[in-house]
Amino acid sequence: MKNTRKAISLWNRGHWKDYVFSQGMLLVASLLLVFFISIGLGVGNILERFLSSDLPEEQVRITPQGVQAGFFQTERGGTEITADVMDSLTALPQVERIDPQVYAHVPAYLRGLLGGRNYYTDITLEGVSTAFVPDSMLEYIDWNYTLSDSAEKPLPIILSENLLILYNAGFAESNGLMGLTPEGVIGLEVQVNVGSSSIASLQAPPINLRAEIVGTSRSMALFALAVPIEFVEEVNNLYLPDDKHTYSALMVTALEAEDVPAIVRYAESMGLAAETRRGIAQKAEVLVGVVTAALGALAAAILFSAVASAIHTLVADLKNRSYALGVLVALGTKRERLVYIFAFQIFFMSLISTVFGGLLGCALSFLVSSTLLNLLPVLKYAVESLAVFPVGWLASGLGLVLAVSTISAWFFFRKILSTPVTELLRR
Amino acid sequence: MFLSASANTGRGESPVSKPLIHASSIVKVFDELKVLNKASFTLNEGEFVAVTGKSGVGKSTLLGILGTLDPAFTGELTINGVSTPKASSMELAELRREFMGFIFQDFHLLPNLSALDNILLPAVFSGTDSLEVRKDAAAILSRLDLRNDNTPTRFLSRGERQRVASARALVNNPKVLLADEPTASLDEDSEENLFDLLDALRKERGFAIIAVLHSKRILSRADRILELKGGVLHEKHA
Ligand SMILES: Nc1ncnc2c1ncn2[C@@H]1O[C@H](COP(=O)(O)OP(=O)(O)OP(=O)(O)O)[C@@H](O)[C@H]1O
Ligand SMILES: [Mg+2]
Repeated sequence: MKNTRKAISLWNRGHWKDYVFSQGMLLVASLLLVFFISIGLGVGNILERFLSSDLPEEQVRITPQGVQAGFFQTERGGTEITADVMDSLTALPQVERIDPQVYAHVPAYLRGLLGGRNYYTDITLEGVSTAFVPDSMLEYIDWNYTLSDSAEKPLPIILSENLLILYNAGFAESNGLMGLTPEGVIGLEVQVNVGSSSIASLQAPPINLRAEIVGTSRSMALFALAVPIEFVEEVNNLYLPDDKHTYSALMVTALEAEDVPAIVRYAESMGLAAETRRGIAQKAEVLVGVVTAALGALAAAILFSAVASAIHTLVADLKNRSYALGVLVALGTKRERLVYIFAFQIFFMSLISTVFGGLLGCALSFLVSSTLLNLLPVLKYAVESLAVFPVGWLASGLGLVLAVSTISAWFFFRKILSTPVTELLRR
Repeated sequence: MFLSASANTGRGESPVSKPLIHASSIVKVFDELKVLNKASFTLNEGEFVAVTGKSGVGKSTLLGILGTLDPAFTGELTINGVSTPKASSMELAELRREFMGFIFQDFHLLPNLSALDNILLPAVFSGTDSLEVRKDAAAILSRLDLRNDNTPTRFLSRGERQRVASARALVNNPKVLLADEPTASLDEDSEENLFDLLDALRKERGFAIIAVLHSKRILSRADRILELKGGVLHEKHA
């Protein structure tokens, strides 16, 4: 062992700088590997998180094509979901039940004391039936409300999780307030004002209601608040008695999950948009797949050239030393001993480079993650960190880089050693 | 017991000792050029054999073959009882390390290492580096008027480098010293000094020498002089 150390030190005297480039490349390769895996998976997580849906498998959410929830009123376009449309869907044999959703075509805003500050945002009320409310929530809330209840109980509301993200990133961030989690908002009391907003008001006087947040949902328009459907219908009739009665969405429950495609086809043939869990999942999958493939290809190309140039210079370093190897062999050093000593050296150096590069990669992805999260606070509430560190993957990736470079260096080293000594000694 | 004229073999062998090196019908061809053409050669224990010949005639080539550095030849070669064409590379390495010492015509020193480190290099790589070896190395360096400091050998003069190469060949206590023009870069005094040392060590340790030489004064010290000509060795009388 002492002799091995001495041998390595003699062998490398005056040559340490030869390794700087190859080991530097190896370090960079390891750094990139860790960075790409870490950030790549993190971005995948974000995409999945944003694209995921809590739609049950046997449900189809049918909405008018291209309809967006505005601040205080739906913008209408394409086929609207009228009572006739609903009837024809109900008539389908595959349909078990339909739970309609209705937008309040009335301006509204939400106001609350959050973190000791007044928070205000215009919103759209969307009336939903109990079908929209998860069973677990129904156990402890009462999803029935009409204007006559306003004195006794608060209006139960379900927040869009995206609104929460927006609140966190915008209002909370700029006022230095704590962000809100979906769990943390449940039970909060706020005020909902119907009949006026920051940019619109109606003839009839606005109504101020006490409201309580009972849950959050991911399958809602950004500025929508889900409230009991009877309440929205009541409000629509009160403020806009002449308006045609249409639905903002229909939650169609199929008899079987297999019936879902037939319903989707029918809805689409009527010019409506249909969303299913599988459709959303597929969309997410395709998107995540494309992003992953693109990032992966880029990463692989960069990684490949980094590893290749690391190996190339490692081999060139060895070739430069073939004369010295020739001297050692001529003086009776066993080739096996040389292979052992240099395999050990190359392995050890490369190990240090890959481990160090890996650590730097972790640091870099951590840095990039926190920078991005600070620049785009919206992300902060979707994921804790953009960088994920799957230890197994990272370790095997680094192990692969280490193995590939060490084994190829070892291979070329043996090739040099199999050259006749007289050749090696010829400078 | 009274037969034990040749000391230092340490193996209690018969005095009619078997040759250290025996080569017969060695043929060596480079592309079209036949450098050795059925050359035969024997080196006995304790002998000092000088090889002469014109430049380019194949002296270094012959030494390379005898030193097992060049396996690409035909003919028979037995070294210390080992038939080298059949030996493994491990066995050959061991022969070179334990049995032979080389002074190469081009020295073959590692330029970044000091004289002492160059000398110790083979021992370090074979795991046989010891205090004893170091002492021996230091003694030989000073016998050859060499400074034992950290100067890399690339800064040494040609003659100094040649002497370092000689010291390296001697330190391993070889049974055979193969020397390719070991005094080519030395002045007459240094040349004499080297061979005085070799003679002294030979008395002390009893090794044989095969050396490519041109200098008349040194040739006169040899037991036998062989001239390489036309691919074969001719005995010449001093
Ligand atoms: N690898 C090789 N390929 C082709 N020819 C070679 C090779 N090595 C040596 N030769 C030739 O073989 C011949 C013998 O070379 P060698 O070095 O043995 O000569 P030498 O007697 O030692 O000469 P010198 O006294 O100049 O050192 C030379 O003509 C040389 O050009
Ligand atoms: Mg020569």
